Amino acid sequence: MFNKILIANRGEIALRVINACKELGVKTVAVYSEADRHTLPVRFADQAVCIGPPRAAESYLNVPRLISAAEITGADAIHPGYGFLSENANFAEVCETSGITFIGPSPDIIRLMGEKDRARREMTAAGLPVLPGSEGVLRTPEEARAVAARIGYPVMIKAAAGGGGRGMRIAPNEAELAGLLQAAQHESQQAFGNADVYLEKYIARPRHIEFQVLGDKHGQVTHLGERDCSVQRRHQKLIEESPSPAVSEQVRQEMGAKVVAAMQALGYNNAGTIEFLLDEEGNFYFIEMNTRIQVEHPVTELVTGLDLVKKQILLAAGVKLDTLVRPNLRLRGHAIECRIVAEDPETFKPSAGRIATFHLPGGTGVRVDTAVYAEAVIPPYYDSLIAKLITQGKDRREALARMGRALEMFVIEGIHTSIPIHRQILADPDFLAGRYDTRFVERFLPAAAGLRNAVPA
Amino acid sequence: MPVKRKPTKKGRKPSPGPAGNSMIPFQQVQALIDLLEERGLEEFELERAGLRIRIKRRGSGLAAPVFDSYLPAANPERAPAAESAEAAAAEEMALTAEGVHIVKSPIVGTFYAAPQPDAPPFVKLGDAVEVGQVLCIIEAMKLMNEIEADVAGEIVRVYVENAQPVEYGENLFAIRPGKKK
Repeated sequence: MFNKILIANRGEIALRVINACKELGVKTVAVYSEADRHTLPVRFADQAVCIGPPRAAESYLNVPRLISAAEITGADAIHPGYGFLSENANFAEVCETSGITFIGPSPDIIRLMGEKDRARREMTAAGLPVLPGSEGVLRTPEEARAVAARIGYPVMIKAAAGGGGRGMRIAPNEAELAGLLQAAQHESQQAFGNADVYLEKYIARPRHIEFQVLGDKHGQVTHLGERDCSVQRRHQKLIEESPSPAVSEQVRQEMGAKVVAAMQALGYNNAGTIEFLLDEEGNFYFIEMNTRIQVEHPVTELVTGLDLVKKQILLAAGVKLDTLVRPNLRLRGHAIECRIVAEDPETFKPSAGRIATFHLPGGTGVRVDTAVYAEAVIPPYYDSLIAKLITQGKDRREALARMGRALEMFVIEGIHTSIPIHRQILADPDFLAGRYDTRFVERFLPAAAGLRNAVPA
Repeated sequence: MPVKRKPTKKGRKPSPGPAGNSMIPFQQVQALIDLLEERGLEEFELERAGLRIRIKRRGSGLAAPVFDSYLPAANPERAPAAESAEAAAAEEMALTAEGVHIVKSPIVGTFYAAPQPDAPPFVKLGDAVEVGQVLCIIEAMKLMNEIEADVAGEIVRVYVENAQPVEYGENLFAIRPGKKK
């Protein structure tokens, strides 16, 4: 087991990892940029090291500084959290060669899943269905036309190095294909320095369903059910819940069995998430895999009763999975999470600044993961997530009722937050009935009408 | 919070300062204000012959500090460290007010005062240094990074001890610019 873990992250996830370490009796090292000197992870970790100026490239993304901080504090493991270097294979490799355990899967798996077209090929071979599409990268408009004719319009053009909706276009017919292909390639080049794009079938009303998996270093893998993350705006998730109102027990069993088989074939270890599109007929297609802890992991924690961050640490230390998770674990009750971000609810512009009033909701079935407090300053340099509000209930109805009243009692003044949007969604009859897909949020947001070219998949 | 901060040297001798000078350059006042905000101090006062500077933060009177220090009193185990950090910050401000230049660590790593374990240190208190002269080594990931003087002058403070870990922005040396008197 580890003696001291360095947390290569900030904000609520850094605090979340500190919680897990404290409960396991492991010492912690927080690292921080000059912008984060007065934050809770710095206060609650056993040690804290300033690693650089506010710019992430010179602090939270700077591998030598992080490794050096681990070396001078004698940390024997690094938890990367999410974002920043959490899915950087090079970082995981440098940790290994420096004799520090990277809490996550092996560098090879991180690298594989980071290359979207290679991941699709490998996962197809491992038995996961993927959306019909081009075999790898498209070179020419002629090639694109041939593939589109085979799978049928509309088709989606996607950046191979993509994410966040950039380098993505929907082509409704052959006439528009060539122009949109060029636009996607150009945008991908601009955003990722790589113009590679591929093409796949376009689904009209898709749900974003993801499976949480855990694997150990001895070949055992299990899944912990699904999360429905279809409520999203431009690929930024707003609400997640488990179980999904759209996944029947039969589909869950089928998806779960395929996921576990594929991960066993891959030799996956530690926590990971496999994302799928689910269509209205119950067909599911692999999109990508995230080789880290997810923002929305608490939803799974509340329906399984497991502490996923503690499991990550124990799995990285070599503990066997069957001693951590009992087989045939069943989901109990229902959990929902709202991601509260510091953004203007109308323009979605980040809203940095000082929080004045800050009141957290509480009571039975309410959990808040946050690292902010009254008088805290939200710096403009990083992700706008400031709190995760999670409620659970014996069923979806109770979890929703708790979310409704908790949102009412969540008061943040001094900056703009997304709380008003969450309240609106929680009052929507379709959402309450569980009828929604990845384009649900657009209906709320007139501004989203202009985003047709970046429609979520 | 520093990794393992050694208490800074106490018993600072009152330095004579430029005789009869009742003016200090605007840039130095600005540097003081910046430092006040950077360290989250509420108030700073410096008095010497013919000169008294008092800077106080009042609501939004000054340019709003970008980052605050509104956390409740630091956790008890840390209190002494916080106090010595505050004393160190006050001393740093006094030096800065005199135009003394502080060399800060540009990286995280281990500080070495000498090129070899048994060699004499690159510099010591009272030494005159030139621009570009090596002051120390900071080891990060087995790479030896030489830290050079960016002003010429006299070493008036050495903040860290040999083989001590340093974080980004930690004070290493104070140099009083100009020829050694």
